[in-house]
Amino acid sequence: MNQGRNLFRTLVLILGFAFLYIPIVSLIVYSFNSSRLVTVWGGFSTKWYGALLRNDQILNAAMLSLKVAAISATLAVVLGTLAGLVLARFGPFKGRTLLSGLTTAPLVMPEVITGLSLLLLFVTMEQIIGWPAGRGMTTIIISHITLTMAFVTVVVQSRLSQMDDSLEEAAMDLGARPHKVFFLITLPIIAPALMSGWLLAFTLSLDDLVITSFVAGPGSSTLPMVIFSKVRLGVSPDINALATILVAIVAIGVIVAGFTMSRQQKQRERDAQMALAANQQMIESVKKG
Amino acid sequence: MKNLLKHAAAIAALSVLLSACGKSKQAATDESAAPAAAPAGKEQVVNVYNWSDYIDPEVIKGFEQATGIKVRYDVFDSNEVLETKLLTGNSGYDVVVPSAYFLQRQVQAGVFAPLDKSQLPGLANIDPDLAARAARHDPGNEHSVVYMWGTTGIGFDRAKVKAIMPDAPVDSWKLIFDPALLAKFKDCGVSMLDDPTDMVGTALLYLGKDPNSEAEADLKAAEDALMKIRPYIRTIHSSQYIDQLANGELCIVVGYSGDVLQARDRAEEAGKPLDIGYSIPKEGALMWFDTLAIPADAAHKDAAHKFIEYLLQPAVAAKNSDFVNYANANKAATPLVNADLRNDANIYPTPAVAARLQPSLAKSAEFTRALNRTWTRFVTGR
Repeated sequence: MNQGRNLFRTLVLILGFAFLYIPIVSLIVYSFNSSRLVTVWGGFSTKWYGALLRNDQILNAAMLSLKVAAISATLAVVLGTLAGLVLARFGPFKGRTLLSGLTTAPLVMPEVITGLSLLLLFVTMEQIIGWPAGRGMTTIIISHITLTMAFVTVVVQSRLSQMDDSLEEAAMDLGARPHKVFFLITLPIIAPALMSGWLLAFTLSLDDLVITSFVAGPGSSTLPMVIFSKVRLGVSPDINALATILVAIVAIGVIVAGFTMSRQQKQRERDAQMALAANQQMIESVKKG
Repeated sequence: MKNLLKHAAAIAALSVLLSACGKSKQAATDESAAPAAAPAGKEQVVNVYNWSDYIDPEVIKGFEQATGIKVRYDVFDSNEVLETKLLTGNSGYDVVVPSAYFLQRQVQAGVFAPLDKSQLPGLANIDPDLAARAARHDPGNEHSVVYMWGTTGIGFDRAKVKAIMPDAPVDSWKLIFDPALLAKFKDCGVSMLDDPTDMVGTALLYLGKDPNSEAEADLKAAEDALMKIRPYIRTIHSSQYIDQLANGELCIVVGYSGDVLQARDRAEEAGKPLDIGYSIPKEGALMWFDTLAIPADAAHKDAAHKFIEYLLQPAVAAKNSDFVNYANANKAATPLVNADLRNDANIYPTPAVAARLQPSLAKSAEFTRALNRTWTRFVTGR
């Protein structure tokens, strides 16, 4: 009985992982395929990695995508944290429901609508105030912030509502000004949420196609746009090579992040225990005295 | 506590650093975006928006070297994407490459600037017959120059078709539209373009009617013809068939000339022993043009004209044709094109075959609605 259940669990685990990772594994395998056709195995070869290095179009697009993703994720984290903080800490105020609705709207808005409305906004703004002049990286970054900020807000807000208010209150009791409390107490505690918010924003920005294709201008084709435009003639295997490199980078990033976070967690637990022990000692000494 | 302090400092430093680097990068983009908006004269650029893999990269380098004008080259994958950008206005592009069918509507919408023909002496190289045909889309060729052109015909895997039916009429639309014939190839794989205008037009050609007819009765007749063969069609898609044909998953496709040849080359490259053929059926076929045009609000019209003029040079046009496997409209370039391509009657048709080719004209909004309804019924098989 027990054994049967264990077997079932293992099976589900394997199937789950297979569902998630077989596509990625096959992509990695085919990036070493010497044949141009995806379904034909022509032997092991690294020639597509060489072809990738010579393909300026794809490399430029990848560079641009990474830049856009890093900048927009960073700005989205700043703005999303502000919004999350207001929603979680400032209690009920006039227009709170409206604010919370508006900040999370991009989560559920179809991307086509977001993209089109941003495009119209940019065109109108350019006509009226002359900025942004033409569409390009700037407009893509602004659009991606609009999209990803909502996700960061949700992540930060939920983390803040789980956080113990008494820590902040204690700090204020001890005389810290609100901004000091924020930078010394709140921010470090919600840092994991900021990190995951940043990564989420980065990922969303990196693979956004719909909004980007609306707001992109001359000389600003992002990687998804270039890949998608190649679909007409079939995707060439150097894209597989690029994807494999990206997967490797992401995997390393995730492993490093997970490692640091678990170390921090342990450190926090140790700190807490030490504080508890010190507390105990103090109580005992008071009792004795 | 000390630890928390350290963390706070680290995070603050990191966020300052990141946002600072964000700002500086943004400033850098603003600078790099500036020349696009500034009037031509300072730093010369031309922003080109073309189909993906539709030019020899050497040509872009050649143009930059010859003129000192920098080319910013972007690609799109469908006419719809291009049309959205053009109709919103202020796309930022100086040279775009719409298909004539779309160009026709866009010209009517006033999207394009008339060409300054005095800046384009290379227009003399254009085949007058093709120019006249393209003029049905763009009256007087005022706004556009034909870049490449091709046909919508039958692509087939010679060996597989022969095995099923040695005397299959691959040179006739009967192969596609005769249900009894097509049924034989059902298991072998038949693919059709997901393009209502082209497919209904082709059905009308088979029925001996005007492919550009907007008559209700003709549309109904075309729908009936298409419905009869629907059960035998495996895929309806406008690009998947290239790889599928090259992989040997399909027998017969209705496809674009250059794409079928692309499939042939790809099979060769992969060392597959496939013999892929293409034919322009004797009942005639639809032809299409991809054209070069300059948006009315282009910032660098002079550079755009120079770019088009460069593409009109016979040697350059031949280079592009060799690269993309399509025929260009440049008569002076024909002798310079790779002999395999030039002598392939399916790419450079003989005058007799060319006479049977018909353009696929833009249709009225009303007809397009009826056409789309027909097409939905066909695709869903109901």
